[in-house]
Amino acid sequence: MNLLSTLPSTLAQAGFPAPMEPATLYHYLVVSALMFCIGLIGFLTRRNLIIMFLCTELMFQAAGIALIAFSRFHLNHTGETFVIFVLTIAAAEAAMALALVVLLFRRKETLDASSWMQMKG
Amino acid sequence: MRPTPTPPPPAELLLDGLISPILLYGGCILGALGVLLALPKRGLSPQIIGALVAALAFGVVLVGMGVKAGRLGLPNFNFYLFATIALGSALRVISHPRPVYAALYFILTILASAGLYVLLSAEFMAFALIIVYAGAILITYLFVIMLATETPTADQVEALSEYDRYSREPVVATVLGFMLVAALTTLMATGVSQLTRPTETAVARDINQLPGRVDAALRSAGLLHADESIGAPAGQESIFLAANDGLPEHVSIAYGNDKSQFRTISSDDPKWPSDLKLSNIEGVGFTLLRDHPGSIEVAGVILLMAMLGAVVLAQKKVELDEKAKLAAQNRSLAAEFLPQNSPLMPPPHDGSPNLREADVHGAPSGFAVASNKVGGAA
Repeated sequence: MNLLSTLPSTLAQAGFPAPMEPATLYHYLVVSALMFCIGLIGFLTRRNLIIMFLCTELMFQAAGIALIAFSRFHLNHTGETFVIFVLTIAAAEAAMALALVVLLFRRKETLDASSWMQMKG
Repeated sequence: MRPTPTPPPPAELLLDGLISPILLYGGCILGALGVLLALPKRGLSPQIIGALVAALAFGVVLVGMGVKAGRLGLPNFNFYLFATIALGSALRVISHPRPVYAALYFILTILASAGLYVLLSAEFMAFALIIVYAGAILITYLFVIMLATETPTADQVEALSEYDRYSREPVVATVLGFMLVAALTTLMATGVSQLTRPTETAVARDINQLPGRVDAALRSAGLLHADESIGAPAGQESIFLAANDGLPEHVSIAYGNDKSQFRTISSDDPKWPSDLKLSNIEGVGFTLLRDHPGSIEVAGVILLMAMLGAVVLAQKKVELDEKAKLAAQNRSLAAEFLPQNSPLMPPPHDGSPNLREADVHGAPSGFAVASNKVGGAA
């Protein structure tokens, strides 16, 4: 079947060393911008601490898509390398933030961000 | 990096070449409306309509870009599939009232982004993303969601917390967010249309540094005989000659008694192995370990500190707040004072149709007892 035989080359967009059109890059950048802003809106509107941190992960993810798209456009691997560091930071951030969330939850027994409005004591 | 001649920046924004501005900004407004409708709100909250409107806006923008880009600049059709899944589940992450489902939808976003990475021929990062994000980070999130949930009382097992049901200032956030989208897409269109496409691949040369692989590939293709080996002639740094100036690649081969004679094999040769190029993971490895060794050290230190910090934070004993202490006392007293067969507790085997009714009627009196007791003790 024709579709099956062309599937690998269809999936990896025409092999790495082939250059990429700027319009194609723009498609990926638009997706990245949209995902970043969805994450931003979520961070601003949701009140659950855990979901707020989930939204920061969404923003990391959007930055990763933009980095990989630029890396593909410029035909080098520096962007992908930086996504590795983004993953590292995301993992460290998740560990710390979630430890803090558990700590805060044990103190007030609620995950509502606005119950921590007064930062004293 | 090679210095490239940059064209002087034009006076006006170059948005027109990639998408019609009216369509883009119309799509932004429509998308903002959709996201606004999809967010959980007080009162009427038509989430499905919101999602449909947002999907319509995304489709309009994609069609607008497709018409302008023409046949040449269109991405692979898989791009549309993965982008729609990624953005749709991202919208569900921020609009689902239950945190567990939000985390599961986030995993779907990650999987679709991994698909986008594969389309951009970053296979290694796609797998790393699935393993690290979907496999490790999201599991941590799910554990914390399960740990940090308020113990539900018998009458509100299915109830959602107030802070999960309503979002905070959805209008302002959505308007600001989509203004950011409009600004970003406009500026990116300008930047993208000024980019010069690279003429050479810097990574293609790196295969010079893997002579063992070149040797094995040529040998298995039958281009290299038993008594020959690859090797550069004196004064020549690289085994590849004329690799990057548009001519076919040549590998120089040393042969003869003391390997003093040289011949070259060209990539025009019909037997030239087609897989003799740097794979994605080899390229990433070269960039990571050769070009950014210091960053790896820093990343290691950050991970170590995060681990120590998480352990220290989790060990810390915390005092309950006054209010939370009262609430906890209230709950334990309520559990203690209610006998096992009270209407508040779900009956062990009984069918459930009248359970909810019993809960509704039983709840106020049970809590009145408990709070009286606390008041007396204080």
